Amino acid sequence: MENQRGTASTLSADHHNMPYNTSLMYHSTINSNQEPSSTFDFGELEEAIVLQGVKMSNDESIKSSLYEAAKNRPAATLEMFPSWPTRVHHTPRGSSKSRGEQSSDSGSALNTTISSKGEANLEPESPISQQQQFQEMASDSPTTGVSHTEKRKGAGSTSDRVTDAKTLRRLAQNREAARKSRLRKKAYVQQLETSRMRLAQLEQELQRARSQGLFMGGGAAGPNISSGGAMFDMEYSRWLDDDQRQISELRTALQSHLGDVELRIIVDDYIAHYDDIFRLRGIAAKSDVFHLITGVWVTPAERCFLWIGGFRPSDLIKMLIAKLDPLTQQQVVGIYSLQQSSQQAEEALSQGLEQLQQSLIETIATGPANDGMHHMAIALAKLANLEVFLHQADNLRQQTLHQLYRILTIRQAARCFMVIGEYYGRLRALSSLWASRPRETMMADDNSCQTTNELQMIQQSQYHFSNM
Amino acid sequence: MQYEIESWNGYLQKEIERMTSKNAVVIFSKNTCCMCHAIKRLMCGMGVDPTVYECDDHNLTWQHTLFSLLGNSSSSSLLVVFSGGKLVGSIDSIMVAHINDILVPLLKEAGALWL
Repeated sequence: MENQRGTASTLSADHHNMPYNTSLMYHSTINSNQEPSSTFDFGELEEAIVLQGVKMSNDESIKSSLYEAAKNRPAATLEMFPSWPTRVHHTPRGSSKSRGEQSSDSGSALNTTISSKGEANLEPESPISQQQQFQEMASDSPTTGVSHTEKRKGAGSTSDRVTDAKTLRRLAQNREAARKSRLRKKAYVQQLETSRMRLAQLEQELQRARSQGLFMGGGAAGPNISSGGAMFDMEYSRWLDDDQRQISELRTALQSHLGDVELRIIVDDYIAHYDDIFRLRGIAAKSDVFHLITGVWVTPAERCFLWIGGFRPSDLIKMLIAKLDPLTQQQVVGIYSLQQSSQQAEEALSQGLEQLQQSLIETIATGPANDGMHHMAIALAKLANLEVFLHQADNLRQQTLHQLYRILTIRQAARCFMVIGEYYGRLRALSSLWASRPRETMMADDNSCQTTNELQMIQQSQYHFSNM
Repeated sequence: MQYEIESWNGYLQKEIERMTSKNAVVIFSKNTCCMCHAIKRLMCGMGVDPTVYECDDHNLTWQHTLFSLLGNSSSSSLLVVFSGGKLVGSIDSIMVAHINDILVPLLKEAGALWL
């Protein structure tokens, strides 16, 4: 090892470089980083502390005890091992360090070193190569400290082998190294824990953002989304922004008791807004029907109620019936008839889809081994029907909205569409609330603000809702 | 050649007229079409008993004629519905008509429904 060979020169070099070393140490503690890489200095000091019989059971006591140890160190060392000239050999760094620490305002330098324990990053700028080497070896593995002490101790014991003090010292060093590595392991595990929590938080945020339908292009979902799907997601998020704007426009229009003519314009806009998304869905279905049917683009709560890639018209009407209260007899009949027709149509489409699934299962299952491609082609042709079903379901949804518009008066229609928009807004909020619900106590603080905001949003919309 | 196709078409048209005038609701669909199943369910749910003619995959002239009836729309599913001898349209039209409360009166007119 270099430290053994270059001892003499090192000592002199240490003397020579002492002031430089000191200022360097002070400098590096100022620019401290997060890496707990340089624990080798503590090995030196801790060893001395053990020999003085100072207990180091926790980090806080280390601070003060190391400080004490460093102050008393030179004297103690000399006292305890007067018969070991080689002791000086094997701790050139240590001694140089202690000297360095002494010659500066030892207290301040050491204190800063200790207080930034785990953070001090004494980079290999030091002119002393042994220091650098020790640092590298110490940061490599926690067991290096033990091996170092072993080596130092081993080399030192070449001269004297039988003294009790030697054995005691060995045991103490072992204990110390073990303790040191335990502490290092604890620090490392704590670091891992914090970064794990941070990662979990980030994942949750990402999930939340995703569940709110705010897709950031295709990047968020990775390679699983086709380009057609990604494009649709982007357009959908734009549509959602538009939707919110139009809903609030409807709300203010109703609250300010706008005239029928102006109201009609706003409602017509909203219908066109829905027609727009159906048109976009038609285009997206041509490139990726699965993306739409499986509801990748929608929040989890909405996905739960998904019916052939979207909302179920009869459910929507059921929800609306109570909210549209002052209805004429004719309107009531119209709405109930609409509900019934949409239920029948939904039933028909669902059964047709089930038939398609059964037929697909049969085709996929009974393909012979040698003629597999032919059956695959048949299965592909059958899958193409999915697009037809999706198109019909969208058609049904669109027609239902249009029929509602025809049955209701313009004011009722405005309220109706506002209710629909708010309903889905709440469903989306429910999704993100669910995603951000506190599952671990440590994350509760972060999420509570988000939760509060969403609750406020819900309360606000509820207030408006009941006012109508 | 053109003349022959036209005559074929003419012949098929007449066939279609004959077939659709016999029953109140007649559905032409391609074989193994699941949408046909959906339409049949819908009709049966309303109490209508449609007559379904399923067209072979290989019978291209029939398919061609039926498609032309629909105005050569781009729908991949071939399904043509007649009610009371008159063309209603493809599944699109059926759904639209149903939601808009037009289908039931139409069927009643054709005599497919009595209530």
